[in-house]
Amino acid sequence: MVLRNMGDLKNIVAGKPTKKLVLAAAQDQHSLSAVLRAWQDNIIEPVLIGDREGIQIISDENGYNISGLRIIHEPDTDMAVEMAVKMLNNKQADILMKGKVGTSTLLKCVLNKEWGLRTGNLLSHIALFEVETYHKLIAVTDVAMNIAPNLKDKIAIVNNSVSLLLRLGYEMPKVAVLGAVEMVNENMEATLHAALLSKMNQRDQIKHCIIDGPLAFDNAISLESAQLKGIRSEVAGDTDLLLMPDIEVGNVLYKSLVFFAKAKVASIILGAMVPIVLTSRSDSEQAKYDSILLSAAACK
Amino acid sequence: MVGKVRSLKKRYRIAVAWAQDINTLGAVYKSANEGFIEPVMIGRGSEIRKICKSSGIDEKHFNIIDSDNEQNASEEAVRLVKTGQADIVMKGLVGTDKFLKAVMDKEHGLMIPDAVLSYVGALQIPAYHKLLFITDPAVIPFPDLGQKTAMAGYAIDMAGRFGVQKPKVALIGASEKMSRHFSNSIDYAAMCKMAERGQINNCTMDGPLDLFLACDPTSIRIKGVKTPIDGDADILLFPSLEACNPFYKGLMLFANAELAGLIRGTIKPVVLMSRSESEKSKYYCIVLACLMA
Repeated sequence: MVLRNMGDLKNIVAGKPTKKLVLAAAQDQHSLSAVLRAWQDNIIEPVLIGDREGIQIISDENGYNISGLRIIHEPDTDMAVEMAVKMLNNKQADILMKGKVGTSTLLKCVLNKEWGLRTGNLLSHIALFEVETYHKLIAVTDVAMNIAPNLKDKIAIVNNSVSLLLRLGYEMPKVAVLGAVEMVNENMEATLHAALLSKMNQRDQIKHCIIDGPLAFDNAISLESAQLKGIRSEVAGDTDLLLMPDIEVGNVLYKSLVFFAKAKVASIILGAMVPIVLTSRSDSEQAKYDSILLSAAACK
Repeated sequence: MVGKVRSLKKRYRIAVAWAQDINTLGAVYKSANEGFIEPVMIGRGSEIRKICKSSGIDEKHFNIIDSDNEQNASEEAVRLVKTGQADIVMKGLVGTDKFLKAVMDKEHGLMIPDAVLSYVGALQIPAYHKLLFITDPAVIPFPDLGQKTAMAGYAIDMAGRFGVQKPKVALIGASEKMSRHFSNSIDYAAMCKMAERGQINNCTMDGPLDLFLACDPTSIRIKGVKTPIDGDADILLFPSLEACNPFYKGLMLFANAELAGLIRGTIKPVVLMSRSESEKSKYYCIVLACLMA
């Protein structure tokens, strides 16, 4: 089973009952527009928690039709987020999305020890790309959340990501652990991590995937490049998930793909009880929509 | 091994440092008798002659050079090899550290520049179906990744001289599971990947593996671990000197094993054996040195 484009995610969503998405602090034009569009396409069923007046003003200004939508009035931002998180904790909804609230405020609530959405796992960010010049969707992690993951963090990031891919219908996702070179170099920690993760995978300590690394970016995505270098790898040229050595290179790759390769991208946060959609004002309309789509496909 | 050396029909000149030791003398004598070495014994002449007399060894076989202290004897033996007057240097009764000091001397020693100095041994164990090569029981206390890689290379080379084409190298640990707590399993994972990428050649490598998975096929079946080593290891690489050393000594004490070993990383073969080891072991080491020379 191969996912070739974002449209394929719609098939996954269509096969399940419609998921409820809670937009916390919903008086926010950027997130609201994407949510309403997704609602219209039957991707999700929204629950808006925020300042009712603010929501109304934005809708009027932009011509949004919000009649029939469930809106819970809560003008205080912190309270709105708390309410959203508690609702998800009570399993009354399936997806959390950030509205007009800072990421750190939202995540603080998510990580609340009493009523939050902790699972004991590390939270990590995954971005799923549709790139015209690659034969299928390709996921990249972690480009936005974990700054300098150590080995233990990388194991958690891989596990989070593989769980998501399995839920999307992948059977044995191929994971490339990226480095600057494909040879092990004592002075390049990324290559040592790669060797270790590969071995753990071989010993079945990291399951349900095939991990290879170190692989340089060209070896990971191009079979020809790998063959030219004489690399024998099950993953090379057919990668489903790219594990980045750190956030800097991850973020650069993400933005290169978007700006230079005109890639489509969907991003969510993994590791909590529910998928979390954190969009920013700099995301395109399509990216916001596709992130909601991914979050719906990611639900059990 | 002995047959192969005999068939080479060469005589190697061996310089023995601090030679007044019965096992050493016996081993050298035996090898000289069989025709493949020409011994130069450096040490207290009078004592050497005394031992020869009481063991029935004809001292005429030996070229005896008088020396009155261990360090000088070691340096002289090394000097003979460095200047081409001998082909092999062997440690006699002198302590390993004094001997190695002479071998490793930057100016007058026998080191290959930038090479890792390490010891590889060939173990003959009645209970195992073939020779088992082990490293490093004598020189490097806690090898880092670079040193472990060099050790593997030397062991693969030695196995090759014994006719083993693509030896199975087992990287020994307490378990086959990776653990970030043990820096060894990190090194082992790196080495396995290096073997996959062709950075370490001419071998099948896996690790970490415990000894049972490395040498016992039944254990493989019971544990269900998939490893290309498959209980049929040719080479065992140990995480430390303290792990490897008691391993071979235990086998010699309790399992009738014989060890022949050699220092690698030197321009000429260096024979290093424990002073407490038998004449037979020392003989095998001499033979091995001739094979590797």
